[in-house]
Amino acid sequence: MLLTEYEGKQRLREYGIAIPEGLLISKPEQIHRWKGDFPVAIKAQVASGGRGKAGGVLRAENASQLLTQAQTLLTMEFSGEKPRSLLVEPWIPHEREIYLALTIDVTAGGYVIVYSPQGGVEVENQQPVQYSFGAPRAFRAQALREILAPVESDGSLRERIITFARRLLYLATAIDAITVEINPLIVLSNGHLLALDAKIVRDEAAAFRHADLSAAIKTSRKREPRAMAQALAGNLMMVWLEGEIGLISGGAGMTMAAMDMIADEGAQAACFLDCSSNPTPAGYSLAFKILDAEPQVKAILFSIFGGGTHIDRVARTLHDILKKRRSKKPVVIRMNGTGRFEADAFMQSVGLTNHPTLEAAVTEVVTLASSV
Amino acid sequence: MSVLIDKNSRVVIQGIAGNFGKFSARDLKAYGTQVVAGVAQGKNLKEVDGIAVFPDIRTACRETKADAIITYVPAIVAFDAILDACEAGCKVIVYPGDGLPVQDAIEVRAAASANGAVIIGPNTPGIISPGKAKLGFMPSFCFLEGRLGVISRSGSLSYEAAFRLTSQGIGQSTVIGIGGDPVKGLNAAEAVALLHADPDTDAILYLGEIGGNDEYAVARYAAQADAKPTAALIIGKSAPPGKKMGHAAAMVGSHADSQAAKVAALRQANVTVADNLASLCSAAQSALAQAAHLQK
Repeated sequence: MLLTEYEGKQRLREYGIAIPEGLLISKPEQIHRWKGDFPVAIKAQVASGGRGKAGGVLRAENASQLLTQAQTLLTMEFSGEKPRSLLVEPWIPHEREIYLALTIDVTAGGYVIVYSPQGGVEVENQQPVQYSFGAPRAFRAQALREILAPVESDGSLRERIITFARRLLYLATAIDAITVEINPLIVLSNGHLLALDAKIVRDEAAAFRHADLSAAIKTSRKREPRAMAQALAGNLMMVWLEGEIGLISGGAGMTMAAMDMIADEGAQAACFLDCSSNPTPAGYSLAFKILDAEPQVKAILFSIFGGGTHIDRVARTLHDILKKRRSKKPVVIRMNGTGRFEADAFMQSVGLTNHPTLEAAVTEVVTLASSV
Repeated sequence: MSVLIDKNSRVVIQGIAGNFGKFSARDLKAYGTQVVAGVAQGKNLKEVDGIAVFPDIRTACRETKADAIITYVPAIVAFDAILDACEAGCKVIVYPGDGLPVQDAIEVRAAASANGAVIIGPNTPGIISPGKAKLGFMPSFCFLEGRLGVISRSGSLSYEAAFRLTSQGIGQSTVIGIGGDPVKGLNAAEAVALLHADPDTDAILYLGEIGGNDEYAVARYAAQADAKPTAALIIGKSAPPGKKMGHAAAMVGSHADSQAAKVAALRQANVTVADNLASLCSAAQSALAQAAHLQK
């Protein structure tokens, strides 16, 4: 979960990283609460990247300009997202912008500090230096010092960066963040560092040990479209797509493989819907309920290759669901895996067709969807 | 000889009292794997299906000299379970569960390395060396003894692939499910190195997907002069950018994450890449044929 800049900065401050004194507002008329000097920066609070380039950060010279800009920003959208609030901060003159981040090095399977002597929007144009150290207890200031030395000639700045890198690590482990990025981190005339922006991504898998993260995930799910919200609440993994083939599947890999095969046949899946995290009568019933209610879905492919999921049980569940189901949308079945002989015998006894291959099932469902 | 597990592996099943654990115990024994102990924490059980049950991993390993474990516990307690397994002397630890926090994955990776152990997972069906041993819950009938080493980020895709290979008479030396998480125990680079060193593996099949950079590790391996012939299938070409496709790491955030970029990098490294599931077996055949040619 990506935190907004304001939320991220509050976290940085808690861990000893200085931030500008700002004001958070959610309505334009609240700008009179700003008691600081002008000019100011006014920044849209959204959870999507590229905000600066999209015009989400403005400079106001006086109160009336600030009001106009607040009104403008609150009506704008950034990657389809309306700002929930605006952050007003003093416009701070500075000599240098640098880039500092802590994130995950998936190749090494551990944490990595990323530093670039030139931050800001131009950071993508240069190669940063990286200190990949694995587990938190393996972090060594000296190792980072040696990596910074060739690119950062200012010795006292280098030491401040090392101190900050250590604080980012404390923060990341405390709140289960997988990215803590400060861009830009500015150097003031007295040599002190100030975080002008913050991008913190928290690991949703760690929600079980963070009540605040757990609550934030629940809130963000409520903002999803109805079908998505239903699926997520029922512990199904779903991504809504543009196509006409409803895909109920098990396992991320086979769900994607079926999507690809549907695309190869010239059609498109309506969804990525993986029931493997809830392979129960309730989970499968919910999957059908969601797809039956969506007019975009013309036919349904039910595709499971079960390992831990026993498909003889799935076959019985499926039979029960199809008996009670009112929707006339055609359903094409392909199941294999643990319990396949029992599943085949059962399906034959109740008149359900199990396609022998995924190819055969995909061809059938694409034909049925195009003839509806 | 096989990779990580064999007929001599002495296996513990943690969570043996649950339905899944009981099924797995019967399934592993039926495959010829030596299940020497079960663990049921907090339960006063002595045995399940003739397997001695212990109250904790350390006692189980000490009493039975076990050296491998499959641990069926939820992510909220997995961190401690895997640390216990590492320190109790298990050299191979399969953690099939989903949703292990990244921070915990980083810590258990470090613990495994410090104790000379290998973790398979999270989010994996485990590992199988067909005809020799199995430490996982993949459907056994899909697999056939042979000389193709298989690595997969996805469990379900590995069953489908193995079923196709087996139906075509293409046997497998070892099939390793490395899992779909961004930080894992055994990663693709390490899995490839194990298959490279295995005398029973002639060629390698890698089943990958969008997101992460395991596929680039496989490409780096395949580009080496002494690499075993390698085939691959990369799924997710129809996935939209910016959306997580089930697996925690399966998301196209940049061009390098995309299926097209990965396929190009693998082909550049002389990997035989299948365009789709239907051409998987012919890609694997081609890698095995190259291996046969090299051995002449």
